[in-house]
Amino acid sequence: MSLCGSIEKGKGINMLYINDLTKNYGSFTAVNHLSLHIPEGDLFGFVGPNGAGKTTTIRIVCGLLRASRGSVRIGSTAAAVGSKEMKRMIGYVPDFFGVYDNLKVREYMDMYGSMYGMHSRDITKLTDDLLELVNLSDKKEVYVDTLSRGMKQRLCVARALLHNPRLLILDEPSSGLDPRARVEMKELLKNLHSMGKTIVISSHILSELSEMCNSIGIMNRGQLITAGRIEDIMQQISGGKRMHIQIASGMETATRILKEQAGVKIESVRENEIMILFSGADEEISALIGLMIQNQVVLTGFYREEGSLESLFMQLTGGGAQ
Amino acid sequence: MKLRWNPIVKKDLQVTARSMRLSWGLFAYEAVLTMAFLLALSVIQQMGSSFYSYGNVYGYLIYLFPVLSVAQVCIVALIVPIITASAISGEKERQTFDIMLTTCMSPFSIVLGKVMSAVLRILFFVAAGMPIMALAFVVGGLSWSYLFYFVLTIILLSLLSGSVGILCSALCHRSITAVILSYAFYFVIYILTFLPMMLKGLVAQVENMGESMLPLLFNPIIFYEEFFMQLMAGESLFGGETSNFTRSEVGFLTYHLSQGKVWMFLSAACIFLLSFLLLLAAAWKVNPMNASSGRKRKQN
Ligand SMILES: Nc1ncnc2c1ncn2[C@@H]1O[C@H](COP(=O)(O)OP(=O)(O)O)[C@@H](O)[C@H]1O
Ligand SMILES: [Mg+2]
Repeated sequence: MSLCGSIEKGKGINMLYINDLTKNYGSFTAVNHLSLHIPEGDLFGFVGPNGAGKTTTIRIVCGLLRASRGSVRIGSTAAAVGSKEMKRMIGYVPDFFGVYDNLKVREYMDMYGSMYGMHSRDITKLTDDLLELVNLSDKKEVYVDTLSRGMKQRLCVARALLHNPRLLILDEPSSGLDPRARVEMKELLKNLHSMGKTIVISSHILSELSEMCNSIGIMNRGQLITAGRIEDIMQQISGGKRMHIQIASGMETATRILKEQAGVKIESVRENEIMILFSGADEEISALIGLMIQNQVVLTGFYREEGSLESLFMQLTGGGAQ
Repeated sequence: MKLRWNPIVKKDLQVTARSMRLSWGLFAYEAVLTMAFLLALSVIQQMGSSFYSYGNVYGYLIYLFPVLSVAQVCIVALIVPIITASAISGEKERQTFDIMLTTCMSPFSIVLGKVMSAVLRILFFVAAGMPIMALAFVVGGLSWSYLFYFVLTIILLSLLSGSVGILCSALCHRSITAVILSYAFYFVIYILTFLPMMLKGLVAQVENMGESMLPLLFNPIIFYEEFFMQLMAGESLFGGETSNFTRSEVGFLTYHLSQGKVWMFLSAACIFLLSFLLLLAAAWKVNPMNASSGRKRKQN
């Protein structure tokens, strides 16, 4: 049922392993057998409509929620979710967060630094560097609650980087930001990516991620629909490799033939339509059609899908958003 | 390992020190204390002038100490839950609590930090009340060491009240329900601990109380009763030598505990232990790895 979004072409090692992750709220399944591997150094976009289960997945990875089943692993370590060791490796920026009244930017950083057990000398030095990076150097002595929304968000990123995590996770980092702050945020993340950090960003807007991410995963109703490098997914679509086969009778035979055929991946089977992903050459398609007709399958339609990443997303997640 | 400030205590104190709430709180505290002082003074003066000769008034001034102490004890017991009950739910509302949980702070140190910052804030108040307390000493002629013991008991009491508050804060989503639940907890600690004794004495009408008074070890009312009795008169449980229990009136344990200062120290230990257990329970509750179903979150 679920699709393992392993991205093999990366730099070899994966940073984040999510295996068979499931989260139930009572009888409701928010995350359904999700498996996902994210390579080191990637800027990974996690897309899906509201309620797809992105936040739930992220919170499980960060140790804020217990999974009903499945496992999460970082790199080659054996640290358990929620352990101190794991927490040291993750920097988390939640989707919504507030700040304290009456606390200055410097003190804010100082507090979180000491929560990681860092020495105050190191914190001071790192705070300077990080505030420089997120363009807040001149705000060191300013109260955090007076910062603009975008500044708070960047401060939160700086805070999440304080303990030098291997993996930075941002949940909907641009929700509630004005366009200018969005651009600044995007530049900051690209910058961090070029510095070699592995970053995971969730969003419900695909176009926002497709510009900056090098790989994405699309999630809907708790399931991962597809994941991979952006080029691969693009190619998959622009090559028109997704086929719809409409069948009047001989459904079982057709399904069997398609299953046996190399290079064919059945995506969905409906009452009289099969959707497949085809990775072979054009001649093989005609051979495939011939084979089905020979076996008394009555074909009424056969077409390739055309489209953009956006239409793929809309189609895959169709009916998912309430 | 170097002893460090709990980061939460440091932050809370920084934030509190800058807020107007602290100033108003201090003002209210001082005002109530002054009122208690004046009231006690006028009562004492009336007693002195009506019954006894003039010189004896000073003999009564010694009672300013318990009166003012009790006033402070009541204020502390009432306000600490209000401070701590919003501690966790307040952080949850801002979702700063989630961020805290993703750091290397253990749930226990988060909870402990919150209670310690409440205890320290209470000590601000008590320190501010010292001049009025000192008056009771100057005119009452008590030993200064009593003041020190009193501060120790206040720390113990605010630790207990803070632990109750923090557990309720961990159990409730909203601060106001947490405060109400804290007072319900108070009812158990302060009132229901009398229940076994009352059942035995009043309902069953038995002569021997057995060990039915042991739950009172956890009751701060009895602890303070013992504390003041010991300090002021050197007597123990519910009266002096003559009215003390005999072996036939109470169980073996209660009889031995009611001699001398044993009850007071054991009660302090019990209250401390109870606070610790409440803290552990709160830490267990806020640890997301123990959550049964997950709390309802605001939808985005
Ligand atoms: N505490 C909860 N109790 C019950 N259902 C929840 C809870 N948290 C989230 N959900 C449900 O889980 C689904 C996934 O939510 P979420 O992970 O926040 O989605 P996303 O971040 O992709 O918008 C939603 O349908 C939501 O209603
Ligand atoms: Mg979300």
